[in-house]
Amino acid sequence: MNRRWAISRCSGGSWTRERKRRLRASARIPALLLASFVVFPFLARAQQEAARFQMDPVEHAAARLLVALASIGIVVVIYSLLKYKGAAVGPLSWGLLIAGAVASPLLITGVGTILVFERAERVEFCASCHLTMKSFVDDMKDSKSNSLAALHFRNRYIPDNQCYSCHTSYGLFGTVEAKKEGLTDTYKYYTRTFRLPIKMRHPYPNHDCLKCHAGSAKWLASHEDYKDALFSGEATCMQCHADANPAHNIAQAVTP
Amino acid sequence: MTKDAAVKPWKLNSASTRMLLIAAQVLALILFILALEFLRHTTGGTLSLFSTFAPVLALLATIAVLGVALYRFSRRHSLFVIEDFEPGHLIFQQGEEGDCAYFIHSGEVEVVRREAGAEQIVARLTKGQYFGEMALISNAPRNATVRSITPVRLAILGKQNFLTMLNLMPSTQEDIMKTVNLRAMRKAEQ
Repeated sequence: MNRRWAISRCSGGSWTRERKRRLRASARIPALLLASFVVFPFLARAQQEAARFQMDPVEHAAARLLVALASIGIVVVIYSLLKYKGAAVGPLSWGLLIAGAVASPLLITGVGTILVFERAERVEFCASCHLTMKSFVDDMKDSKSNSLAALHFRNRYIPDNQCYSCHTSYGLFGTVEAKKEGLTDTYKYYTRTFRLPIKMRHPYPNHDCLKCHAGSAKWLASHEDYKDALFSGEATCMQCHADANPAHNIAQAVTP
Repeated sequence: MTKDAAVKPWKLNSASTRMLLIAAQVLALILFILALEFLRHTTGGTLSLFSTFAPVLALLATIAVLGVALYRFSRRHSLFVIEDFEPGHLIFQQGEEGDCAYFIHSGEVEVVRREAGAEQIVARLTKGQYFGEMALISNAPRNATVRSITPVRLAILGKQNFLTMLNLMPSTQEDIMKTVNLRAMRKAEQ
């Protein structure tokens, strides 16, 4: 009788422990998912503040999607690693493995590539190479500067991505060429192999001014005598404008 | 160069597939961190790192997972594939998913069961005997580890073909079920 009571008490205790263990295990995934949505979204917030009024809907949606995908991916992979330790022994473990190590990385790479192209056009991105580019951006944002960059910036002649807008003259393969040059610049910047003062690779083309100004009635009225020379490239915009309004008004440091 | 010193080609097995799956998940984690860092602070460095390495990491993780899935599929559907194992090789480990049965062509293996942290040799099997059938019939993880003692040549029969064989050959099914029951009884006695 005593033995039977002992067995029943023992099995009852183990049943309670088993139930608690299952409850803890089943609560782990929702808890980790909840934590991921609370902790990770703050990462994208800092960059949204600056562009509150000129928000690009594609960039905004892609950034949120990327945060969600990366957060879910981290939770799924960590849970799968802790629970299965690399073994794939059933539909759930295979499902978690494919979701975490195949679907999420491929989706993130796709969505992230859209963001790479979107964010590489931002002023903040150009200014992140602060040893070389920050002085140009500071001049552009200086309300007292008389440079063309500052003039265009403070009057919002270009609403956003001002560096990119004035410095892109990409042709059919121009984007690829620009990305290649950008990667070279990044390498030189992070390996500290660049030389000051930095210079443009190519002379600033008239096309980059004319792509906006050539259609303007005000510009046509004041440039009637020069427009043929400007269109043909015989004269450059900066031949006249550089004295009163240099492109950028900075004194660059020189590499010792 | 002697035969023993010759470099052997790297082969997939249960341990290496597990390592591959862990590696795929670690690569995915690195990619997630690169993506979040790129989002948090977009600079030339984070953008270049993400745009250069994310496709490579995603591709490597996908190839690893798909490679293991294909390997598992081929194992489950193998039809008496002959494989040789050196002495001391782990043919499968306790707790793994069972995807094929093994028929000993030559050599000897030992069956080891681990309980409460202690290992116990429960059987030694030789030419003409088979093992790995219990996990296929019960659909449960492997209940023991099997390790080769001598050089062993095994004929490997995938789960699908093994179950088809049982359905098509009642006498074989009867024989195998007898062995399964006998081994289950021995396990219960131990």
